[in-house]
Amino acid sequence: MMITLKVKVGQLSLAALFLVSGLSAPAAGLLALEDEDKEEQPEWLAVTGGDVFTGTGSYLRGATVLAKDGKIDSIGYDLFIPEEAERLDAGGMRVYPGLVAISSSGLLGGSGDLADTIDPFSSRMVLGLAAGITTTSQSNQVAKLKRGELEGAVLSEKAFSGLTWSGAGGKRALKEKFETTATYLRAYREWEELVKKDKELKEPSKRGVDSTVLAVLEGRILAKFSANGRDDLLGIARLAQKYGFRPVIEGCGEGWAVADELGRAGAMAIVTPRYRRSKEESLVRDGGSSIENAAILHLAGVSVAVIPSSKSVNLGGIAGRDIMHLIIEAGFAVRGGLPEKSAIDAITIQPARMLGVGHRVGSLEVGKDCDLIVTDGDLLHYETFVQYAVVDGKLVYDKQEELWFSHIRPRPEAPAPEESPVDAGERPEDIEDDGEAGDDDESGDEDEEDGDEGDEDEEGDD
Amino acid sequence: MIILPTFLSLAATATVFPEPTLMPAAAGDLLAIRARTVESVSDGTLTHAVILVEEGKFATVGEDLTVERGIPTLDLPEDWVVVPGLVNAYSRQGMDSSGGSGADPDVLASSELYPGADVYQQLLEAGVTTLGLYPAGNGIPGQAVAIRPTGDTLEEMILDDAVYLKIILRSNASSKKMLRKGFEEADAYEEKEAKARAKWDKDQEKKKKKKKDDDDDEDKEDEEEDDGVYTPPTPDDDVQPFLDLRNGELSALISISKAGDYLHLLDALGEEEFSWDLRIPLSSEADIFHVADKIGERGCRVLVEPRVTRQPSTMRQRNLPAELVEAGATLAFVPNSDSVSNQKVWLRDVGHVVAAGLDRQTALRAMTLEPAAILGLDERLGSISSGKDANLLIYSGDPFEPTSRLVAVMFEGRFVTGEKDLR
Repeated sequence: MMITLKVKVGQLSLAALFLVSGLSAPAAGLLALEDEDKEEQPEWLAVTGGDVFTGTGSYLRGATVLAKDGKIDSIGYDLFIPEEAERLDAGGMRVYPGLVAISSSGLLGGSGDLADTIDPFSSRMVLGLAAGITTTSQSNQVAKLKRGELEGAVLSEKAFSGLTWSGAGGKRALKEKFETTATYLRAYREWEELVKKDKELKEPSKRGVDSTVLAVLEGRILAKFSANGRDDLLGIARLAQKYGFRPVIEGCGEGWAVADELGRAGAMAIVTPRYRRSKEESLVRDGGSSIENAAILHLAGVSVAVIPSSKSVNLGGIAGRDIMHLIIEAGFAVRGGLPEKSAIDAITIQPARMLGVGHRVGSLEVGKDCDLIVTDGDLLHYETFVQYAVVDGKLVYDKQEELWFSHIRPRPEAPAPEESPVDAGERPEDIEDDGEAGDDDESGDEDEEDGDEGDEDEEGDD
Repeated sequence: MIILPTFLSLAATATVFPEPTLMPAAAGDLLAIRARTVESVSDGTLTHAVILVEEGKFATVGEDLTVERGIPTLDLPEDWVVVPGLVNAYSRQGMDSSGGSGADPDVLASSELYPGADVYQQLLEAGVTTLGLYPAGNGIPGQAVAIRPTGDTLEEMILDDAVYLKIILRSNASSKKMLRKGFEEADAYEEKEAKARAKWDKDQEKKKKKKKDDDDDEDKEDEEEDDGVYTPPTPDDDVQPFLDLRNGELSALISISKAGDYLHLLDALGEEEFSWDLRIPLSSEADIFHVADKIGERGCRVLVEPRVTRQPSTMRQRNLPAELVEAGATLAFVPNSDSVSNQKVWLRDVGHVVAAGLDRQTALRAMTLEPAAILGLDERLGSISSGKDANLLIYSGDPFEPTSRLVAVMFEGRFVTGEKDLR
């Protein structure tokens, strides 16, 4: 961050120089400035050869993601990679945006004010990265899983404004707040116009105006509700439609039953596909939980983010339901009919947008933060492991280097450089194992040779 | 034992007695100790060494020196080893108050010192010849005192007061804020002081001018009224320690418990520069190795327990004291727990860490000279070298071996405990 800033300042002063001295900028000064720029060595990271899932853009097979000073500089093929760039070989693997856990606890180590409490060395952070999570929200603040660093970890100090929709009295009070505030806002906008002509005109009174609701209506912050029941969801959807704001609804268990209304309200849902809720049998209408919830909501135009039922690293209880299994939970949304792409969105760009950090993280785009994960297979497959995690252009997790999962299906070491091509007759099996194992096994001899050549090419690149 | 004819300069007692005496004659307050092995700490291991003690100080220390006749001489058995008296810079022995959790930087641990407590004699007998006592509490509990573990009055006991400011920093908003606030208040005072100074200067100028005008009227001597002395405003008691930190009169001992705390410490300190050392309680799964390089870069002292810890979540051993040294930090030890019984086995515990790979000399230094430096007393004691306080321990063998006995303790030139024939 600092470095880019300085470079920019350098460029600015360069421009100023031109302005001052007209066309004939002294060459010496120019050179000096360039030298100054060179002193600030940018940090490059090139993630090469992976199948890159950009999220918001296309799917690029065997492409390279190049990061400069923590930001994505370019994505594509045949990129010019500076010599000093650090390289991460993602050949045969897949590259995804770093996952965003819309709510979690314990991954950042701290509690309360994150800027003062983050523990960038906690083992929970390593586990979070092992689960692919590079950004998360904790106690309504958003931070990155930056290992060994405090600087730049906190992205946002307030993610949502929590509003409560419960109880007849509470609901009435909230409605009143919205009514008063909306009335005030209309009066204020009108006054803004009128005051231009009549400067004596008094500003409308702020009496009874709720500051939280005002912020929500002005679009400065998103309102978050917690609701699962169909009635509550309907209530929130209608409130949102009436006053024109987009609610974030955590839970949304029976959302599928009122998906149309939620879609019309522009609602954003944080769902847990494996959430269980029984139908109220005394009622005729639809209800209860459904595995199809995420899919139906998505079809109705609701933005969907997925989160497991337990928000912390929880090794007890029923396995596979804690924050470590964010990917598995998204997989269950696919089981219920959500398109795979949308399921990945539901753990990357959608939660990033809901948290107000969609401009920084959640997808691989030039200019955004270089937060990505490299996996050994399809992200949503149960066998897939996160092999590498990169945050702000720095490698922060390498499966083989960490204690936790290095022993499970260890990553094959990069094939040792071969001095001479192997004779067709005495082709050793182990070379094949070193490469992409599964595919090559089934193919014939000729294909194997092709595979070999491919390997050699890769070595040449390195 | 080979004794080379090196000269041992002795001030008053240079008389040579022609007839050999069996008993060392009393010659002033002199005593020579001849030992095969002396761990001097400041000059490494001395063999065939002679230590001459005079009036509570080491007068001369060297290898293969001749001892002039008439000086009482103690010839130690071959495998006995002499080491400097131990220094525990971080203790609460003999103190029983409990502190608060706020910022009380002006509290002095010396105010709760109770001379003559039995525990000090016990510590002395266990070989701890210098002690640093810190004030209790969390947050910023106050300033430590360096004492001699003997004496009946405060004056006799206290070597130096206000030796370090103890600061406890954890990864939370309140402790970081406390530290920042301390320096902000110091800023505010400095600003106030600068204003007062400017005002004073202005006043002085005015006076001068006025006098000049007066002088035009009639010549009078103006010297008399001109020598007004500027007195800066008095800072609050709890601001003074932070000013002292800034101007180098006080150093800080900052306690952190994990790697993350160190980053938060740096964050809280910002640009502030002053002298500080670290106290890190080594828990069994301490993760401080994450920042060992950063600590090493700074090169500050790190006060830790002699403990071999584990790689978190595993049973693999880690020798953090050795790792910190390798990274460039300066090591100082405290006993594993602050009790008399633990001080008695302090050397043995350090021996474990030495066995696990810590350099031997570094280990000895970390129990003597470095803790003395934390107390600001490294010029006065902490090693066996001439001019320093004659505090030494005699072991019946390698001091790190559990089979070795502590045979005798010399404190400021006198044996305070030991076997009969040594006295």
